[in-house]
Amino acid sequence: MTKLGLTIKAAAVAVALFSGTGLTAAQNVTISVWAGGTGPNDNYRVDAIDIAADILEREYAIRGKELSIAVEKKTYPTWDDFKQALTLAAEAGNAPDIVVTGHEDIAPWSQSGLIVPVENYLNLDAWPINDMYENLIKISSYGGVLYGLPQDAESRPLFFWKPHMKAIGYSDADLDALPSKVQSGEYTLANVIEDAKKMQDKGVVKPGYGFYPRPNNGPDYWQFYTSFGGVMEEGGKLVLDKAAMQRFYQFFVDAVAAGVTRKNHIGTPNDQWFAEVASGKAGIWHGGTWHYARYVNQEGLTDFFGNVAFSLIPAGEEGKANTLTHPLVYLLTKNKSEENAGIAAELIKIASEPRINALHAIKSAHLGITKQEANVDLYSSDRWAREATERLLPYANAMPNNSDFGTYWNAMWKGLESAWTGQKAPGQAVQDLETELKSSLGEAIVVR
Amino acid sequence: MTGNFRSWPVVLALSLLSAPLLLMYAYLIVDTITNSPVGSFVPNEFTLEHWSFLWETPRGRPNIWRVTLNSLVFATSSCLIVLAVSSTAGYVLSRLNVPGRSFFLAGVMVLHAFPAITLIVAIFLVLQMVGLYNSLVGVILVKAAIDMPLGIWIMKGFYDTVPWEIEMAGIQDGASRFRVWHSLVLPQVRPGLFALGLFSFLLGWSEFILPQVLAPGNQVQVLSVYLASLIADDNNFDMALFKSVGLFYIAPVLILFFAFQNYLMNIYGGGTKG
Amino acid sequence: MNSSRNLGLVLMAPAIVLVVLFFLVPVALTAVFSFTTMSTSTGITGGAYQLAPNAIQRLRDQFGMVELAQKLGEPSFVIDERGLATLEAKGVAPGIVAELRSNHLNETFTVRRDVERMIRSLRERPSTPEVKLISAEFSRSLANARFADEAALFAAVKAIDAQLTEDEKAALAAASYSGWTWTTENFRRMVSTPDTARTLFNTLAYVSLTLVLFNTGFAMILALAVHYMPERPAGFFRILWLLPRITPPVIYVLMWKWLAWDTGFLSAVLDDFGVRPRNWMLDSAANAWVVVVFINGLVGASMGMLIFSSAIKAIPQSLFYASEVDGAYRWQQIRHIILPQLRWPILFVTCYQTLSLLTSFEYILLSTNGGPGGTTEVWALAIYHTALNNYAGNLQYGYGAAMALVLVVIGIVLSLVYLRLFNYGALVARPLIEH
Repeated sequence: MTKLGLTIKAAAVAVALFSGTGLTAAQNVTISVWAGGTGPNDNYRVDAIDIAADILEREYAIRGKELSIAVEKKTYPTWDDFKQALTLAAEAGNAPDIVVTGHEDIAPWSQSGLIVPVENYLNLDAWPINDMYENLIKISSYGGVLYGLPQDAESRPLFFWKPHMKAIGYSDADLDALPSKVQSGEYTLANVIEDAKKMQDKGVVKPGYGFYPRPNNGPDYWQFYTSFGGVMEEGGKLVLDKAAMQRFYQFFVDAVAAGVTRKNHIGTPNDQWFAEVASGKAGIWHGGTWHYARYVNQEGLTDFFGNVAFSLIPAGEEGKANTLTHPLVYLLTKNKSEENAGIAAELIKIASEPRINALHAIKSAHLGITKQEANVDLYSSDRWAREATERLLPYANAMPNNSDFGTYWNAMWKGLESAWTGQKAPGQAVQDLETELKSSLGEAIVVR
Repeated sequence: MTGNFRSWPVVLALSLLSAPLLLMYAYLIVDTITNSPVGSFVPNEFTLEHWSFLWETPRGRPNIWRVTLNSLVFATSSCLIVLAVSSTAGYVLSRLNVPGRSFFLAGVMVLHAFPAITLIVAIFLVLQMVGLYNSLVGVILVKAAIDMPLGIWIMKGFYDTVPWEIEMAGIQDGASRFRVWHSLVLPQVRPGLFALGLFSFLLGWSEFILPQVLAPGNQVQVLSVYLASLIADDNNFDMALFKSVGLFYIAPVLILFFAFQNYLMNIYGGGTKG
Repeated sequence: MNSSRNLGLVLMAPAIVLVVLFFLVPVALTAVFSFTTMSTSTGITGGAYQLAPNAIQRLRDQFGMVELAQKLGEPSFVIDERGLATLEAKGVAPGIVAELRSNHLNETFTVRRDVERMIRSLRERPSTPEVKLISAEFSRSLANARFADEAALFAAVKAIDAQLTEDEKAALAAASYSGWTWTTENFRRMVSTPDTARTLFNTLAYVSLTLVLFNTGFAMILALAVHYMPERPAGFFRILWLLPRITPPVIYVLMWKWLAWDTGFLSAVLDDFGVRPRNWMLDSAANAWVVVVFINGLVGASMGMLIFSSAIKAIPQSLFYASEVDGAYRWQQIRHIILPQLRWPILFVTCYQTLSLLTSFEYILLSTNGGPGGTTEVWALAIYHTALNNYAGNLQYGYGAAMALVLVVIGIVLSLVYLRLFNYGALVARPLIEH
C-alpha cells in the first residue's frame, strides 16, 4: 500500500464510513484465490476460503447487510508454472485477490508492488492473529510489516527406514534414541553416509539407494548448508559462507563417491521418488512433514510409525542439527477494488481459525499455525502432527525474506547440481558460485 | 523403381529402423483401451476407464470440452488470420509494383527465420499493453503473426505460378486491380490456400509454449497446456490417462493428415520450421 | 484502389501491423530490456519509491547516510495537532478526535500495533478500517511507505520535518527506487558467468549433432531407401516418418517418456536381459543427450527426407538406366548420380535447420527440461528459464532479454547470409503490369 494511495483511499473510505450511507445495498463480490505447489491433499488451502466466505456472509447478515461472495479457486501442482503465471498476471493487472505462496516471495513481491501488507486491513490483536506463533508472524513480515498471514507450517526431517536400520544392527531402543542423538550432534551427517553404506553392503537396499535425497531443487538443501555452519542472511544482508558451502557440496560429492547416492539422482521424477521411499527401497532420505500424507494416503504405507523413524537433519562439521520450516502464507495483492481487498483480508483471517486450519494441517500433514490448534481434537489426536511439532518445530530455521534471495537460491542449486553430477569439483563450484553472485548481486551479498 | 536391384533388403532394413516409431504409435492407441499387468506390456483386459476424463472433470481442472473448444477456436482463428494476411500480402509481393517490394520480401524471409519465441517477454508486454494477456484473442494474434511469414512465402510461390495473361485480360476488360485479384487470381490459388489453411490449423492445434505463457487461465486453456499440466502434476502419475487425453488430442491431426497427406507433404517438404 | 501502389499498401497493411506489433516492437523492447535490471522484484512497468529494509540498508551502506537511514527507517507515530486537524477535515467522529486530543496528545509510538491498540481503546471504539485510517494520519516516519514518484517522496519527507540537502535527496531517491534501472551489467555478467560457456557448448553440440546425424544424415538414408523401393511401401514409410513432425510436441514427448521412463517400455524389455530398469531419459548426461538428439532429430528428419526425395525424383530417369546398363552398383549410383544432384538441397536443409534448432527449445523443455544437472540446457531454454520459468520464481527479464538479443543477432546475421547464398535477387521478378 502506498502511503499516498493510503491517504487518497482513506479519504474515500472516510466518507463512506463516517457518513453512514451506502451500506444497505446488497453486495456481490468475487474473490479469486490461487495456490502454488498444491496437490490433492492440500485442497483446504483454497477450500478454507470457501468456508470463511460462508461465515463472513453470515456475519454480515447478522449486522443487517447482505453480502454474497463467489470464490474462484485455482491451484497449481508445481511452483515454476505458478510463479510464472502469477507474476505475469500481476504485471498485466489481473492478479487474484488472494495468493497462497512461500513466504520468501514477500520481499520481491512487495518491492514490485504486487502485494500489500495485510496489516493495512486487519486488526492484529484480533483472534486468531493474536494466537499465531510468534516466529511464523515474523516469517510473514518484511521490515517489521506484516505482509501475510501464515497458512501452514512444516519442517523437513531426515527419515530412516526402520527395518533396514535394524538389519545393520540398530535395536528398537537405538532407533528410539536416534532423534535425540541427532539433536545433540552425536549422530552426524558422516554417520548417515556410513549407515547408508552398511545397508548397501548388507544388500537390503540397492546401490545408490542408501541415502536418497530429494531429487530436485527445494528449500531442503539450505538445511545442509546450515548443518555445515552456513548462514543465509545476517543483518538484512545475504551471506555466502564459502567454506560452509563447500563442505555442503562436498558432502553430496562424498555420498556419490561412497556409492550411497546416485550421481544421476537429480532429476529422478518425483512420483517415482515418493513411491520408492514409501516402499522401503531407500534406506535414509530427507523430506517434509507433509510427505507423511502422501506416503499414507497415496503410496499405501499403512504402518508409517512401524517402518519409519524421523529426526532433525544431523549436524555436519562446524554446524549443528537443524531443520527448515517453509510456511506458506496468504498474501493480498494490490487490488483495484478497496472493497475486495477488505473482504479478502477478512476471509484469510477467518480461514486461519484453528478449527479451519486444522482441516488443512491434518489432511496434508502440515503443522498448525496457532497455539490453540493443539486444543482442536482433530489436531491433537493426530500422532504425526503431535510428534513432528514437538521434535522438529523448535529447531526450525526459515529462509530469509530478501528480494535477492531467489537469485542466490537458483545459483546455489546450480552449483550443487554441477558438483553432485561431477562436472565441477566442489571448490570450483563454490568459486563459480561466488563469481556469479558477485556479478549478479554485487554488494547485496556478503562473501566470507 | 529401377529394375536391377532387389528392393526387399531395403524394405526390410527400413522396417527394422521404423519399428520403434511404429511401436510408440501403436501403444499410444492400445494403452488407452486396455490394462496390462504390472511390469508387462501385453494387455490382459479391455477397459474404457482411461477415457473417463471425457465425462468427469477432475478437481481443479477445466472441463475437457471447454478446453477442446478453446483449442478449436485457437487453431481455426489463427489459421484464418494467416490465410487472410498471407493471401493479400503474398499477392502484393508476387505481383504488385509497390515501393520497397524487394525489401519486404527479404524481410519476410528474415522474419521466417526469426527466433520469435525468445522474445516472449517482450511479446507479453505488447499483449499486456493492448489488454490481451490471458485471452484467446491475444495468443491467437501472436500465433498468427509468428506463422505469417511462412504463409506469405508459400502464397507468393502459388501466385508466381498464375499466368500473367489472366490478369492482363481482366485489366483490359476494365476491372480494377483489386477485382482482378479477388475474382480472377484468388480462385487460381485455391489449392494453395487449402494447403496453407490445413497446415496452419495443424500448427495452431499443436502449439504449446505460446498459450502456456500467454494464456494460462482455466477459461482459455487449450489442449496442449491441459495435457502438459496433467503430466507435470506429480501427484497423479497415470500414463494410460495421459495417453488417452493425448490420443483424444492427436486424433483430429491424424484424420486431417491421412485425408489430405498430399497437400501437406508438399508444404512440409517446402521448408517449414522444425 | 486502381493503382497497384495504393492497392499494394492496403493489402500489405494487415501483415505490416502484425509485423510491427509482434516482431518489431518486441525486438525493440528486448533490446531496451537487455540494458536494464528488470526482474520480478523491480517489475516491468516502472517502479515506485519505497523505504523497504533493503532501501534503508542501501542508504546506510552505499551512500553512507547512517543518520538519515535511522530517522526514516524507524517506524514512529506521534499524536499531534497536525494529524488531529486532518482527521477533523476528513470527517472522523468528533468524539474520537476530542478524546485523542485530551488524553493522548504528544504520545509517541514505535510500533503500529501499539498505536492501533490505543486507538481501539477509545470510548467510541472505531472499527478496523477506521483504526487504519486514523493511525495512518499519525505516522511520522517513512518506513515501508511507498510513493508513486519523487515529488511525493520529498513532500512526505518534508512533512515529517526532515530538511534534506540536494545530495541527500538524490541518495534517498536512488536508494529507495524499487523499479528497474539502466545497466550494461547484463552483458558483462554474460561474459563472466561460467554457465555461459557451458550453455554455449551445449547449444553447439545439440545443433550440430542433430543436424549431422538426423536432419541431413538420417534424412538422406530415408530418402535413398524410399527411392529404391516400390511405390506402396515407399508411401507408407514417407507417412510414417512424417508422423513425429505432425504430432503435437506434448504428445510426442509423452510417447518418448513412455519408452524411456524407468517403468517404461525400454526398461521392461531390457529387464529381461538383466539390465536394471532406469530412467533412460535422465539417468546420465549421455542418456539425456541421446534422447534429446533423437527427439529433435526424428522431427527434423522428415523435412530433409521430403526435400531430398523430390530432388532425387527430379533427376532424369535416363541417367539411372544408363548407369544400370553399365552394371553400376547401387552405392556407385548413389555416389556418382544422386549425391552430386543433392548439393544444394543439403545446403538448404543445413542452413534452414541450423536456425530452427538454435531457436527451438519446446522438445527439450518437455523432455529433459535441461537436465540432468543442466547438461542439456541450451541457449534458448536458458533464456526461458532465466526470464520466465524457474523454481524460485525469480524472473530476470533484463538478463533474459540480453541473452535473447544474442540469439536475435545471430538469427538476423545468419538469415542475411543465407539470402545471399541462395541468390535472393532471382526470386523478385519484375511485375509485368506496371501501374
